[in-house]
Amino acid sequence: MNVITNNQLKCTIALSSLLKVMDPEIGLNIVDLGLVYQIDFNEEDKILYCMITLTTQFCPMGDSILLAAKEALQTAFEEYSIHIELTFDPAWNHKMLSDFGKEFLNQL
Amino acid sequence: MDSTFVSKTNNKTTTWKVVLPFYGYGAISFLIASFLLVCSTNNITQHYFQPNTLAIVHLMALGWGTMVILGASHQLVPVLIEQELYSNKLGYLSFCLAAIGIPLLVYGFYIFDMGWPSKWGGRLIILAIIVYLFNIAKSMSMRKQENIHTVFLITATIWLLLTAIIGLMLIYNFTYPLMPLNSTDYLPLHAHIGIIGWFLLLVMGVGSKLIPMFLISKYSNNKLLWLIFSLVNIGLLIFICIFLYSSNTLFFVFPIFSIALAVVLFVFYCYNSYQNRVRKKVDKQMKLTLLSILMMVIPIIFLIVIILLFIFQNDNELIIISYGFIIFFGWITAIILGMTFKTLPFIIWNKVYHLLAGKGVTPNPIELFNHTIFKYMALSYLFGFILFTIGLIINYQPIILIGSILLLICSILYNWNIIMLLIHKPVKK
Repeated sequence: MNVITNNQLKCTIALSSLLKVMDPEIGLNIVDLGLVYQIDFNEEDKILYCMITLTTQFCPMGDSILLAAKEALQTAFEEYSIHIELTFDPAWNHKMLSDFGKEFLNQL
Repeated sequence: MDSTFVSKTNNKTTTWKVVLPFYGYGAISFLIASFLLVCSTNNITQHYFQPNTLAIVHLMALGWGTMVILGASHQLVPVLIEQELYSNKLGYLSFCLAAIGIPLLVYGFYIFDMGWPSKWGGRLIILAIIVYLFNIAKSMSMRKQENIHTVFLITATIWLLLTAIIGLMLIYNFTYPLMPLNSTDYLPLHAHIGIIGWFLLLVMGVGSKLIPMFLISKYSNNKLLWLIFSLVNIGLLIFICIFLYSSNTLFFVFPIFSIALAVVLFVFYCYNSYQNRVRKKVDKQMKLTLLSILMMVIPIIFLIVIILLFIFQNDNELIIISYGFIIFFGWITAIILGMTFKTLPFIIWNKVYHLLAGKGVTPNPIELFNHTIFKYMALSYLFGFILFTIGLIINYQPIILIGSILLLICSILYNWNIIMLLIHKPVKK
């Protein structure tokens, strides 16, 4: 799934930092799971907005995933204030998996 | 900022403080019930209405099955209904009432005293169920959209309440003639409302959400779930009517057919979820859970045999006892053994590592319990269950004893892993 962004270069860096954030139940990172919907940069106020979903609403691991994503982005973009937003619109489904994610779940 | 950004969505999950006591209580109940089973192997084949058997059945149904399910459901209700739990305090209250009520009731049965211990036990359990029902209903009322899983959950809880009320009436009936017949005559009614209305409906409602979720399945079929829901409830209502108003045993074929069809359709639903899964590898916990779904068919077969025996005037006590054993130590125990290790490690991980998320490498939730112990637990369970059932059917004490010892070993290993989980301290890799 393609991530919406207003800065492709920085988005690539952000996504590579989010590769470290895993969904502990599935054992796959949130980028390849397709949980990251949008990453935008407000250069004026130095704010990084990241919109994320979870595989299931009220997932018991949800807060930990969001916290880990925030930590990962903060480490990569120290000068930015990180704003993580959670959405379920649209709800996650298996079609959002990356090719690597699909292969990973097939081979597991 | 693009306008597609939405405000922060609520994802508040139930605190582990509400959930863990239920799991701990369930584990201890399973251990005690297994121990009592070993102690009762000499007289378990005599008749199902006797103190030991009543105590074991209620410890398994309430202390083990219901407590673990209530605990897990406090965590899973928000996932099922996509709405946060109305009150954690009511969750605690429900636990406290049940935690006091269950041992009183079981003790009352064990010493066969239908006086204050069993009466107060029953009253407290009913209060616990009312509190739980209120909490779930309030949580659901905050949600605008209808959801099939919530309908299963709330209906199952209403059946549980009815089961408990009938149970208490049966206890009173020993001392005050509340009902036209003896309490023992109403046991099949009390038992089946609980087994089918509460356990079967709940397992179907929760399983239909969790099994596809854990398998990451592409399959979904709400129409089939509504059909299953209708078949179970219609079957149970017909059963109650026939039980109360007809003396013709042959009529029981209709509710059995309806409920058996629902079970077969639910197995079909789970099979389709399994076949259409994106996640190819199925872990041990899910395998045990899927096995328990298949095990739902066995009690139905036994029930058909029991009805046939009744029709032909051949009241086989051992088949009836085997039927009860297969439900509580078979199907319900198997699903709990599997799902405990699919849910509890994540609750513990959240409790211990929540604030460490993203700040270093932490263990994976599935690493928090010992997989070798889990494997031996599953093996001792399977062999114990099979041997005990065979022993009951052929009425051979040594096999029953070996089976019960294996089940006791299973409960010890289960408790071992539960303790390891509950006392887990943070470990940074």
